[in-house]
Amino acid sequence: MRFGITLGLPLVAALLSGIATQTALAEDGEIKVGVVAAESGSFVSAGNTIAAAAKLATQQINDAGGIKVAGKTYKFKLFIRDDRTNVDTAIAAARELVNDVGVSAVWGTESHDFSVSMAKITGSAKVLQFTGNSSLGGVLSDESVAKDGWLHYTFQTEPQEWQRSTSTAKGVLSLVGPKLKTPPKHSVVFVGNDATGQYLSENYVTALKAEGQTVDLVKYPPDTTDFSPLLTRVKGLNPDVVHFWYNGDSTLIAFPQALKLGVAPAYFLFGVDPGIYKERGLKADQPVTMSCVPMCWGSAPFQAVKDYFEKYFALGAAKGPQSSVSLLYYDYFFMYAKALEQVGKLDDPDAVVAALEKMQYQGVVSAVPLSFNDHHQVTFATEVCLAEPGSSDKFKCAVEAPPATAPKAN
Amino acid sequence: MEILIQQLVNSLSVASVTILIGMGITLIFGLAGIVNFAHGEFLMIGGIATWFFVGMGLNFFVALLLAMVVVGALGFVAERCLFRFTLDRPMNGFIMSIGLSVILQHVVVRVFDEFQKSTPDPLGAVWVVGDVHIIAMRAVVVVITAIVVAITYFGITRSRYGLALRASVADQATAELMGIPVRRYVTGVFVYGSILAGLGGALMIGLFPITPFVGSVVITRGFVVSLMGGLGNVNGAVLAGLVLGLVDGLSAGYGYPEWTDAYSLVLMIVILVVRPQGLLGGTLGPKAS
Repeated sequence: MRFGITLGLPLVAALLSGIATQTALAEDGEIKVGVVAAESGSFVSAGNTIAAAAKLATQQINDAGGIKVAGKTYKFKLFIRDDRTNVDTAIAAARELVNDVGVSAVWGTESHDFSVSMAKITGSAKVLQFTGNSSLGGVLSDESVAKDGWLHYTFQTEPQEWQRSTSTAKGVLSLVGPKLKTPPKHSVVFVGNDATGQYLSENYVTALKAEGQTVDLVKYPPDTTDFSPLLTRVKGLNPDVVHFWYNGDSTLIAFPQALKLGVAPAYFLFGVDPGIYKERGLKADQPVTMSCVPMCWGSAPFQAVKDYFEKYFALGAAKGPQSSVSLLYYDYFFMYAKALEQVGKLDDPDAVVAALEKMQYQGVVSAVPLSFNDHHQVTFATEVCLAEPGSSDKFKCAVEAPPATAPKAN
Repeated sequence: MEILIQQLVNSLSVASVTILIGMGITLIFGLAGIVNFAHGEFLMIGGIATWFFVGMGLNFFVALLLAMVVVGALGFVAERCLFRFTLDRPMNGFIMSIGLSVILQHVVVRVFDEFQKSTPDPLGAVWVVGDVHIIAMRAVVVVITAIVVAITYFGITRSRYGLALRASVADQATAELMGIPVRRYVTGVFVYGSILAGLGGALMIGLFPITPFVGSVVITRGFVVSLMGGLGNVNGAVLAGLVLGLVDGLSAGYGYPEWTDAYSLVLMIVILVVRPQGLLGGTLGPKAS
């Protein structure tokens, strides 16, 4: 009998402990979230950052114990799909994630017009979509984000284009101006001729004109590799500043060619991080400014951003031209998690949307708390940096606050 | 005036790489009868191999030679293991080459990654004449292209091998009866065309960064050049490459710049309608008996 008690008690205890463990496991659940991003194709430099940011954010949330919803613990489970910079693939991926996998939210994609197509799939399935595309500004309206609107579940995670364009234009001209003999008056915007380029450059040209610039817009075919004929045309326009806008990969091909052809006395590289400028060993005798989307890898303005990039690269993210684009996606995992906890249930996307609409969240991307406006758009500043002439690694940076109102061209 | 001269200088260098691509395609298509849509990926691998060897510390021009060997070997394997079995059914070979191009892209992405690769400018010098900037590396590309064109031209028109090759194209069965190893010639032409692609890729990465996806961009221009010039016609490829370079340079400079690619393609359509055999005439591959 004594033998029985000696042997039996630990056995019972072990069994009970096993049951308790099983109960805890049964209480743990997973929240499926999808990522659709260009991990190959022409938009890969921006696209791969979404997946990398998603991995970092979900790992941090899960490692910190996950999300507590109605007394249960949930962890994020990521489903990443490569859209290959192809709209059909992006749509197919969104359908699969929504219909087959059953995700509750989707991040992406970075290609502007693709996101709008995806929103038609996510919206009708009441799946939230977080997308860092300012061109959504063209369709986000009172009607489209209303409860029965087709973009009710879509959130634009980068500022409106006129805000970014204005702060960028101000930053570029204020940094370049003192480096030139006379203040710059004539700008040429050099941009890829695709849907994104057309939308973005329209706003940027307006912003430059509002700053008193005379502006010429030169568009190039998106897959151009030899830019010399086009850059020679730009040179013939005698610009004070050439603004390479918007595809960082194309810019990194075109910019060195422009230097060799002596196209302009100053340059601006949109969406090229100082970090990649340094990595590539780029150097110019002329002043070169660059803006990040939104805060710079390689010359971060805040400690939180520096810490972010350390963790981001420590997780194996590639050091690409637009690593900072990842910041357009990272904070929103935490906002989504917070909204789920506030709502207290997982099956009420309308309540989650309502929670997000009211939320103030202090993230990494902005010095002030993030919040969405009535059209589901955020507002935050843009960092612009100047590479000192002759240097690959000396930068002077400024954080330009977004304007309150849209610019009007002079 | 300086801008016009600069555009003419640019046109010459734009034309050079295009000629190398077009010449490889025109030889393989026109003389071996193989439509290799993966030719652009062969070029890409030439560029990536150069980047890899330069990264190992080799001199750019040594890396260039090694890249040509790598792509030549790739061409040999592709011809012996794949295209050899489709010589009687060129359409099968064409479809297979599309698959091969996607596979090669993915292999490169898997082995390395999907990002741009670049090498430091091998020469770095820029000669400024008046206000015209002549980039030294571009001048070297023009010179190398001219040498390769001359070797290829004389190899085909003046050598014993060239004569046998042309005989194979004219009448395969008779050529075989005369003791010409036609299959070996097909392999030789395919490998030579592949080496040219490797050279093109190596020179291209000496000029600007490339990605694993650059092949799909350049292949169109390669086919435009080979069709415009006349399949299998080296002189035709050179002429078409120069015309395209000029059209690119002048349209980018004085036309609607965003339509640069369209001008070239419109010109190709017009030429193929007016002269279906291409500017200087060509072949349609070996005529099987």
